[in-house]
Amino acid sequence: MAMTAIIEIRDLSYSYGDGTLALKDINISLEEGCKVALVGPNGAGKSTLMLMINGILRPTSGVVLFAGQPLQYDAASLRAVRRAVGMVFQNSDDQLFAPTVYQDVAFGPTNLGYPAEKVKRYVGFALQYVGLTGYERRPPHHLSGGEKKRVAIAGILAMEPQVMILDEPTSNLDPASSEEIMEMLDELNQGGKTMIISTHDVDLAYRWADEIILMKDGELVRRGCGPDVFMDGNLLREARLKPPLVVDIYQELASRGILSGSRPPRNILELCDLLQPEGRGRPLGKIYIWDVDGEDEVQVISMIDRMENCYKGAMGTGAKLLAERCGIHLDFTYGVIDKCILKALIGKDSLIMTSGGMVEHTMKRISDYSRESGADIEAVKIQRP
Amino acid sequence: MHNLLDDYALDNGLRDASPHLKLFLGLASMIICVSSSSPLAPLFVALTMSLATVLLAKIPGRIYSRLLLVPLSFALLSAAVVAFMHGGGTPLIQLPLLGLDLAVREEGAELALLLLARTFGGMCSLYFIALTTPMIEIFATLRSLCIPSSIIELSMMIYRYIFVFLDQAARIHSAQVMRLGDARARSAINSFAMLASVLFLRSWEQGERLVLAMDCRCYDGKLEMMEQAAKATGRQMLAAAAYLALASTIAVLSRDASLL
Repeated sequence: MAMTAIIEIRDLSYSYGDGTLALKDINISLEEGCKVALVGPNGAGKSTLMLMINGILRPTSGVVLFAGQPLQYDAASLRAVRRAVGMVFQNSDDQLFAPTVYQDVAFGPTNLGYPAEKVKRYVGFALQYVGLTGYERRPPHHLSGGEKKRVAIAGILAMEPQVMILDEPTSNLDPASSEEIMEMLDELNQGGKTMIISTHDVDLAYRWADEIILMKDGELVRRGCGPDVFMDGNLLREARLKPPLVVDIYQELASRGILSGSRPPRNILELCDLLQPEGRGRPLGKIYIWDVDGEDEVQVISMIDRMENCYKGAMGTGAKLLAERCGIHLDFTYGVIDKCILKALIGKDSLIMTSGGMVEHTMKRISDYSRESGADIEAVKIQRP
Repeated sequence: MHNLLDDYALDNGLRDASPHLKLFLGLASMIICVSSSSPLAPLFVALTMSLATVLLAKIPGRIYSRLLLVPLSFALLSAAVVAFMHGGGTPLIQLPLLGLDLAVREEGAELALLLLARTFGGMCSLYFIALTTPMIEIFATLRSLCIPSSIIELSMMIYRYIFVFLDQAARIHSAQVMRLGDARARSAINSFAMLASVLFLRSWEQGERLVLAMDCRCYDGKLEMMEQAAKATGRQMLAAAAYLALASTIAVLSRDASLL
């Protein structure tokens, strides 16, 4: 299979003005559409590396290639690269500098020279995507941390990047906000965008990323899928990290002979399956999937009333907002598919409200699970009446 | 959390009224106040503007009166000085003090009263603007008045970062107070100096990060302006015109009147 590397970093080194080496001989190539987490302790060089990718910093030696072309550092080429590689800063206050949400999101499109009408359309689209329609005239200091992060993401989305880089996207956010932000990033990734995040939250990286790049003291120490990187206790200790909780539990249970298997579970669902591989005497529950795009509130409420005994979850910003408008009590707002599979395994039905074309993704995820685990969970697509 | 004028400006009963009209109304009232030669018209403006701010814009009366106390106390002090220092006419109050003849005479008293009324009326008009019109709409209005865009853009960013630095200053201050940085006058002065210098350095760094953030988003010298807010309706314009006409009539008719 021909792999297209959207970003390639070759023999890159970088030293600060005073000669301190910040990055040493980094070699990375990232495929289009991948989901990568840069993990490492403070001062490992994650942020510096990120600033290399969109040409803010220029390597002391080595090259950065975008879509096969080495980065040029003249103004016009840099603009092209920064448009294609959007960067979301760790501190939203650094990023949101305009006095209103609208102006901030419009900043990128305006500077790309779009006509006013197009700017307006793009801003409207981006704000709708992050679920902040109606916030246009608000100043950033009247937003919560999670809302600020959404505006920052909208500001990047309005420029239609191919790659999004997010520096510590969940730092300073409450757990629900950070789950929602991560799910939004998942949704964007499903839509084809390449995602790179940096974090020192190992649980988050393990659960979310397809690929982990572990950095320490400006060097790339290990690159691989989550289980490969996070099963290596010595490596983690050296990098001042700890194993993700699921991996930790798995290792302890395995050492007591309770669990076997060569691969640690990725999440709670997989852990439960390992613990109870075939003990499913009871009948399985069903999962109903409903694309609520374009549905009105009356329809939603009447449908929800009919499905009283189901657990209810919403995926995607549109679905969550609709549920909120209808006053629906949601049991799950993040990790929805896994939670619903877990409920199905104990014989409970659940309903997933989705938006933004996530139905196919959800169906596929459930059928993949059914095939791998042998538990034939029925996923029912609700058709428009 | 601080409760700033800005918070009221963003959420009040007149938030959606045309900013052009609000600015015009406030400024015109101010001009009537300073050009009136009797205290009557300014007092009328003060009363009506206060009513508009409290009743129409629904700014809590307690907050509003506390806000007014600040300029009013200054005005009272200066009016007192003017009353003693100025003019002729029959003495109203006499205070012989250490051989000095301190007296408030008729002309002085009138002038002091006028000064007080003008300040009061002017402040009420200014607060009407400040409490009902958010800065962002004032920026948009400035743009439509052909103020150079570099000035407006700079002020927009200054406005945005005021809140970031206010927050930081508050946090640094609490950190100092927690470690008794304000226990004695001397240490309080020291702490303040430290706060100022740290804040300066931080704003410098923030500036550098701002440039970075703008570069990351392809900055090319353009900053989008907010769309113009609601236009004034005919009725609103008519009401404003009638109000201003009434205030000016009072000013003209009462030009020789005196409250004393």
